[in-house]
Amino acid sequence: MVGLRAGLRGMTNPQLWIAVVENGCFFALLGLAFYFNLTGAGFFNFGIGAIAMAAAFTGSWLVTEHGLSRPLAGVVGVLGAIAIAVVMELAVVRPVQARGEGELSALVAVGASLFTIIQLSGLFLGHEARSGQPFWSTAPFSVGSARVGSTVVPIVVITAALFTLSYLALQRTRLGRLTRAIGNDTDAARVLGLPINTARLLSFAAAGLIAALAGITFAGRSGVSPDNALHWTITGFLALVIGGTGTVWAPLLGGALLALANVFIPFYFGGDVLAYGLVVVAMLFFAFRPEGVFAPRVRV
Amino acid sequence: MTTADPLLSGSGLSKSYGGVHAVSDVSFTLHAGEVLGLIGPNGAGKTTLVDLVTGAQDADTGELVLTGSPLRGGAAHRAAQGLARTFQHPQLALDLSVADNLLLGAYAARHRGLGRLLAGLVRGILRPHAPADRALAERLATSVGISGLDRHARDLTLGEQRLVEVGRALGAEPCVLLLDEPFAGADAHGVAGTTRVIEVLRGAGHGVILVDHNVDLVTTLADRVMLMERGRVAFEGSPADCLASPEMQRVYFGTAPEEVAS
Amino acid sequence: MSARLPNVAGVLGLVLLVVWAGSDLYRSSLLVTMLTYALVALGMYVPFVLAGSLSLSYSAYAATGAYAVAIGTAHAGWPLWLGMLVAPPVAAIIAVVLGAATMRLSGFYLGAVTLLFAEAFIQLLGNLGVTGGPSGIVGLPLLSFGGWEPSPQQTVLMAVVLTGVLALALDRLRRSPWGVVIRASREVPIAVDTAGVSVSVLNLVALGAGAAIASLGGALFTTYVGAVNPETFSVNVIFLAVFMPLIGGIGNPWGAVLGAAIVVHLTLNVDSLASSGTLLVSLSVLVILVLFPRGVLGFAGTAARGGTTLLTTVTKRGART
Ligand SMILES: Nc1ncnc2c1ncn2[C@@H]1O[C@H](COP(=O)(O)OP(=O)(O)OP(=O)(O)O)[C@@H](O)[C@H]1O
Ligand SMILES: [Mg+2]
Repeated sequence: MVGLRAGLRGMTNPQLWIAVVENGCFFALLGLAFYFNLTGAGFFNFGIGAIAMAAAFTGSWLVTEHGLSRPLAGVVGVLGAIAIAVVMELAVVRPVQARGEGELSALVAVGASLFTIIQLSGLFLGHEARSGQPFWSTAPFSVGSARVGSTVVPIVVITAALFTLSYLALQRTRLGRLTRAIGNDTDAARVLGLPINTARLLSFAAAGLIAALAGITFAGRSGVSPDNALHWTITGFLALVIGGTGTVWAPLLGGALLALANVFIPFYFGGDVLAYGLVVVAMLFFAFRPEGVFAPRVRV
Repeated sequence: MTTADPLLSGSGLSKSYGGVHAVSDVSFTLHAGEVLGLIGPNGAGKTTLVDLVTGAQDADTGELVLTGSPLRGGAAHRAAQGLARTFQHPQLALDLSVADNLLLGAYAARHRGLGRLLAGLVRGILRPHAPADRALAERLATSVGISGLDRHARDLTLGEQRLVEVGRALGAEPCVLLLDEPFAGADAHGVAGTTRVIEVLRGAGHGVILVDHNVDLVTTLADRVMLMERGRVAFEGSPADCLASPEMQRVYFGTAPEEVAS
Repeated sequence: MSARLPNVAGVLGLVLLVVWAGSDLYRSSLLVTMLTYALVALGMYVPFVLAGSLSLSYSAYAATGAYAVAIGTAHAGWPLWLGMLVAPPVAAIIAVVLGAATMRLSGFYLGAVTLLFAEAFIQLLGNLGVTGGPSGIVGLPLLSFGGWEPSPQQTVLMAVVLTGVLALALDRLRRSPWGVVIRASREVPIAVDTAGVSVSVLNLVALGAGAAIASLGGALFTTYVGAVNPETFSVNVIFLAVFMPLIGGIGNPWGAVLGAAIVVHLTLNVDSLASSGTLLVSLSVLVILVLFPRGVLGFAGTAARGGTTLLTTVTKRGART
């Protein structure tokens, strides 16, 4: 009976559900950034979390240390993130992948990039956590007993907008369809003379943009430090892999499932169980359904 | 042809990929000291059949029997029973030397099973090099007719790579050798090397399954020929009968004679 | 006889390091840190460089070694050296179990799961009673072999010998038949499988052996420092351990040792670099990866087999490996 009552207390607690929404949106956006890299370059960009962190961290630093306005700092953060993503592609990923050595060296290369971004941020902006400085926040308000924080509405709106835009960009524009074709079969696309490099570059830039917006907005709630980078990367990767790579909407589902786990597992079982649970869930998903819930349609 | 039990036999083997029936309901036998030729147009299912026999792919249905006992399990397990193969697209470790690639079959044979793998680890540290291995590499190289043992495998021509694959398989001392297009891209020297190995195995009472598009060579070397078409066996018999068969005419000349002529 | 050269140079380098450290305590502690990293990187060398699979749980294996020593001593009253003997098999078992559970994964998937595992493992260490929770276990006794207590200098010397012997052993292993089989499995697993060695089993053995070696690094560190806590082996350790063989050169296990020396020098020993040492390390890895693909890396490119891209595509399909 106690278990049941406690169970109800969690499930009917609106505050927890608000946390689910906020976390879910953030994870989904990170997953979406991964999705762009995967479709455009056939590649999991483990630098995503670091890019999101760098954008949020730089923005906060500019606001608190240099008195920049939040929107201006946001623009700098986003542009910086896009620049990092583009540099990563041009200077690291493309040359390494072009040698066709398989996944291992690409994986080490993004690992080194991730580490470099973390170290750069720490060296120039400090290792201490900073409070987030989102460029857009709304006045907090209450719904019944629950408080809706200043970043909830923005992140929901941004998530809805970015997913819709991504859908339209990938499905409805010529370049978007081309990008998907390239991600499906890069070798064939090269033979057909499709503009692979442009599509790859755009997919990296889009991923950088999405990651930056996600990081900057979510940092308003959680704060941000260089230490977040790796965790954000893993979370985004999980959101994509659990959701599946079959449709642009899939990271939304993956993000939601991860957020449910992130909020309710600690509530019922304590925070540590989450870490153990994530390993098991990731293992099961990767082993038995690496294509995720929404699998890509197989074309024979 | 003997009436004794076959060395290797398969029955009712099938494999499909999505809607494509790569191999459907194929049965075959291979006797000791026999060379079974396998021909058929592109996509006929020859490589898939080799994959099903060696365990590189799991069959949807079908049974295999090797020297009287069922042949099951993964590729490594089947190799331990005496199967060895080469690949249509050569699978050499390009970072390693020709000698190491030639010896891989013999080396692997020494490390079959967890116990031998662990013992080999310890032995490798204590005694990394045995002079006998160098001699074995030279013997294998001579058998297939390749030289330059200390070259990198990446510097070999396609024909040389095929020869090294044949030598590697020979080093595992198989009782059944499956060759997937050993003559493709090979010059006269390469053909001679592979032919020598086939003859040695035949003479030793082992079995060979020879897949190739060079119908002349296959029908010359093989004791029996199986013609495959779209996953099925279209004809099976002696090379002479096969060449004269209406199925052969239909498969190779029936639909597009000008392609074959060129 | 050029194969001997790295071994001679490596042993010589270690001897010079011992001379350099002398009885200076600070230098000795730097040397122990370097040896710890070298052992973790040597452990990683087996599955990563030889077998070509990137498992990122190495901080967990180092921690296993550290805690085996600490728990054995603090709770069971073992001498420290007994913990060092127990650590490798325990770490190997953990690695084999994790390896079996992740057998079907490779590349990014394997990297993500093993990283999550490492984090969860460290978290577990911070939560258990027997591990002393977040503050860990402190105040371990000095190393003692039945009454003989080696001086710190002698302890360092033993650690140097251990590292040197393992590097030599791995170099011999790399060139042995076993090494040829595992190196071939990295490039052409199907050829190894159809030659009779199950690549999955081979990978498990490599993971177990690597974890055993890495656990010695953790055990050494705890023995020397006399304490351990969950923070000792952070995720940074994993990244640095991956980078070390790349920096030192993956053609030879001594590259991992050299890489460890370079990384520890840059991150801890050069005062003017301070915190930028780690940055320098990761940047140099990027430069090496981009500029010296064959020379330093030597990962064989399957696409480098020649022919046009189309040909590669077609033949890849044809091979269905
Ligand atoms: N992994 C796979 N996925 C999908 N279809 C496959 C796969 N492997 C083979 N096929 C299909 O199965 C059929 C048989 O292929 P297989 O390679 O066995 O033919 P083959 O006789 O060896 O041809 P070739 O002479 O060109 O080597 C072909 O239609 C091929 O496209
Ligand atoms: Mg074929």
